[in-house]
Amino acid sequence: MKVAVFLPELLRHLFKKPATVDYPFKKLTVPEGFRGTPFLHPDLCIACRACERDCPAEAIVITQESDVEKKFKMVIHNDRCIHCAQCVDSCPTNPVKAMDMDHLYELACFDRHTLKTEWVFTRATPKREPKPVPAAPASDRAGIPAK
Amino acid sequence: MKFNIPIGPQHPALKEPISLRMTVEGEVIRDADLRLGYNHRGMEKLAEEKNWTQNIYLVERICGICSHSHATCYVQGVEKLMEIEPPKRGLYIRYLVSELERVHSHLLWLGVAGHEAGFDSFFMYTWRDREVVMDLLEMISGNRVHYAMNTLGGVRRDLDEIQIKKILDGLVVLRQRTEYYFKIGASEPTFVGRLAGVGYLSKEKAIALCACGPTARASGITADVRKDDPQAVYDEVPFDVCTADSCDVLGRTVVRIKELMESYKICEFLLRNLPAGDIAVKAPKKAKPNEVVSRYEAPRGENIHYIRSNGTERPERLKVRAPTLANYPATIEMLKNGFIADIPLIFAAIDPCICCAERTVELVNARSGEETVVRFGDLRKLAGERFAKSPVKRNAVWPF
Repeated sequence: MKVAVFLPELLRHLFKKPATVDYPFKKLTVPEGFRGTPFLHPDLCIACRACERDCPAEAIVITQESDVEKKFKMVIHNDRCIHCAQCVDSCPTNPVKAMDMDHLYELACFDRHTLKTEWVFTRATPKREPKPVPAAPASDRAGIPAK
Repeated sequence: MKFNIPIGPQHPALKEPISLRMTVEGEVIRDADLRLGYNHRGMEKLAEEKNWTQNIYLVERICGICSHSHATCYVQGVEKLMEIEPPKRGLYIRYLVSELERVHSHLLWLGVAGHEAGFDSFFMYTWRDREVVMDLLEMISGNRVHYAMNTLGGVRRDLDEIQIKKILDGLVVLRQRTEYYFKIGASEPTFVGRLAGVGYLSKEKAIALCACGPTARASGITADVRKDDPQAVYDEVPFDVCTADSCDVLGRTVVRIKELMESYKICEFLLRNLPAGDIAVKAPKKAKPNEVVSRYEAPRGENIHYIRSNGTERPERLKVRAPTLANYPATIEMLKNGFIADIPLIFAAIDPCICCAERTVELVNARSGEETVVRFGDLRKLAGERFAKSPVKRNAVWPF
């Protein structure tokens, strides 16, 4: 048995750069599939409420503004959002999903109510093709670029 | 003269924060009493109010470190209830993430063990290397902690060639580092001397008290759900169950380092034999009335979920038994006849996420009822002082 076997490793690291990043001044780039905050493409949404139903945090609320105009309002409570991206998976719009995630991660703020984002939009009518568009499988991640 | 020391009950990192009440004679613990039920979150009741999909994310939040374990255990069960068979590729990716999670959990534990044993540089290096696997998990799933990889009927994200290459490269680094730590453990006399003989749990006691996971395996029991009741891919993957016979904290360390090596082997096998095809099948919204028990080998031991469905889109009952709960009776046994200074080490050895909490220990004089509050940091200092004075255990050896 030797004494202080860890010492060579410690000495070697005296001359290495730190493993951490000088955070507020330098920022790491997040990976491509990073789950930031969810947002809506209002022109694509068909107001099917699949995202509202499947959201585990009940952070998405969709309400109809008026019966005649087919105007809807979607509110995403980002203070409640757990960033699981289930809304993106549940969204049936094809080929581009109406729900999407961005790459923002600095979300802290002083008032939780300012984290609310909302969109008022007219419901998009899904194009009737000869073959009905199947509901997207849970694995399909269209909307986030593959590379 | 006997003293009572209550520990806890607040411990935010645990599913079941506990209160330990220890009777001590001088420095020696004679008896320990355990109280559960503080900080009850009512997750099982909440699960009855949410649909099958929402519950994946709820059970994932039972634990921060083995989040994938709970989600996988739940999803395995619900897939049986819904009678759906996930595609092979989906299963391979699911259990790849499981093994990567085991790697990150064991590396975290190694750091904690080093920290509690007063070997802080060991703690910092293991945690730095843990970042490698954390980054891999973030790349695969899009998040560092709650991977949210599981969905009913498969996984949510596919792997491409570049990602597979990156994971294999990362595994090379991790393997190299783990071999180095194994060497350090074997040849650093202070580390071995501090861990050897602490928290003794005999094989008979471990069986009688239903210990599980690395705690049981360190007492020479070959109990691993992956081998005993192979889920999905584990009957195809070659790996060994790691055990140790020293029955102490040193054994638990060795078991975890060996398990790391096995996990790298499993990951490489899964990546090299990744079948082509879909990663998920579409799951129905409802499950027929039935019940299922799902077992899964989490990094800390056997995780059990009992799920009952009643034909609606919500579970009728979800019961979770986390591995830490199974290890509590064994912890009491380990603490008996140990020293106050060993409490952090013994408690950390069952891996109850104690690392995140700086807590206080109250010393109560049994005669006068006088209470003294000791910070957890001071307790660690006490441990350091005690072992600085005590003679080095020259005969303690690293069990290969």
